Amino acid sequence: MLVRSFAVQGSFNYRTLIGAGFAFVLLPALRHVFRERPDELEAAARRHQEPFNSHPYLVGVAAGAVVRLEQEGAPPPVLERFKSAIRGSLGSVGDALFWAGVRPASVLLALVLVVAGAPFWLAVPIFLMLYNAAHVLTRTWGFRMGLKHGAGVAAGLRESVLLRAVGAAASIGAFLLGALSLLVAAGLLTENSALLTTIAAMAALGVGLAVGSMIRFPAVVALGLLLIAGLLRGALS
Amino acid sequence: MSLPAVALLGGIVGLDATSFPQVMISRPLVAATLTGWILGDPASGVALGALHEIFSLAVLPVGASRYPETGTASVAATAAMLSSTAAGTWSTLLVALVFGLLWERVGGATVVIYRRSIEKLLLTTSGDALPSRKLELRHALTLGLDFARASLVTIGGVLLGSSLVVHLAPRADLPAGLIRGAIAVAAAAVLGGTLGVFGGWSERHKAFVLGAVAGCALLALR
Repeated sequence: MLVRSFAVQGSFNYRTLIGAGFAFVLLPALRHVFRERPDELEAAARRHQEPFNSHPYLVGVAAGAVVRLEQEGAPPPVLERFKSAIRGSLGSVGDALFWAGVRPASVLLALVLVVAGAPFWLAVPIFLMLYNAAHVLTRTWGFRMGLKHGAGVAAGLRESVLLRAVGAAASIGAFLLGALSLLVAAGLLTENSALLTTIAAMAALGVGLAVGSMIRFPAVVALGLLLIAGLLRGALS
Repeated sequence: MSLPAVALLGGIVGLDATSFPQVMISRPLVAATLTGWILGDPASGVALGALHEIFSLAVLPVGASRYPETGTASVAATAAMLSSTAAGTWSTLLVALVFGLLWERVGGATVVIYRRSIEKLLLTTSGDALPSRKLELRHALTLGLDFARASLVTIGGVLLGSSLVVHLAPRADLPAGLIRGAIAVAAAAVLGGTLGVFGGWSERHKAFVLGAVAGCALLALR
């Protein structure tokens, strides 16, 4: 199940989200639970293809718990209620911890190293190793949690270290972002330490802090307009 | 340039973004570095990848949201940049960066089309859920389809991007200092906007300011 969980989003679609992938992950365990009961196996495979979603790294929490519930003979309405109740937590905790925490924080570390002059063959592997250590540990932990707690896994999730890790990852990320912002404004990224550039970059940093992620589109447009201006200048000269 | 190798990398990177195994080789920093390494210039790959990564930090793949596909765009833009004989110039980097930031929208659109198109694949002809064996086969098939989609997006990006880089970069009459300054300013703005990912100024200003102080210290030590 753990290996299959790496492909849980392979059939992600807007109708069932990861429903089909979730059933795919469960199948080895379901074959064990329903060995010599092929009709019940197929019924279980079908009901677990219903719409479901979870952060991919935490799908093991739900999968482990569902396997335990199936082993205990929980009726389908109980399984359905459990999945409906857990999906929100698994999505929000996973998104906050990984997509808005560990991932940007670890890649920011790599970026700081690159901009500060470290070789790429050090910075990039450091990012991949740090990130995937957290990633794989979380997947493995999730399956153990689910199998151990079954229907009570939500309480286990609330008391787990994961929720505390969300805040820590965000703080580390913000720290590294501050460091990188300073280095970029000082011209290290583009080898341009002109005072005017540094002042303009610091002002732009302030605008970005005020506006938020919406600044991305105007920044891309501005670079595009600069390119167009250069092409026009080239054409006219 | 080895287009088959780049297409293979693009397929793997596209697959890694969502389908399998999500170990983050699809991040622009990694994807561009790998592309540069395959094509014999990892340093240029890192330079473009770092810039593209900065612009991608605040792009979050939450829930069923639609978002740009940064990995394949990074592979395509890097390969396009390195296809030019003027690969080391700032004009070439600017064209490749802008192209990558636009091409990721195309990749993202193909992801949406792909996700909609596989819905029927995951049902029987009568619209029911699949039997177990068929589910496994169809799930594996979707992985193959996503790989093919990502490869095609990468190939398309490389062909279009190379043409743009070769024709536009020499014609862009811009001083290198201006390009460098503009990229630094744009990157700084985007980095400021990224603090929202971690909770925004109100929640994380202390950590951010401490980080900036650490950045100053790092600068002083250089």
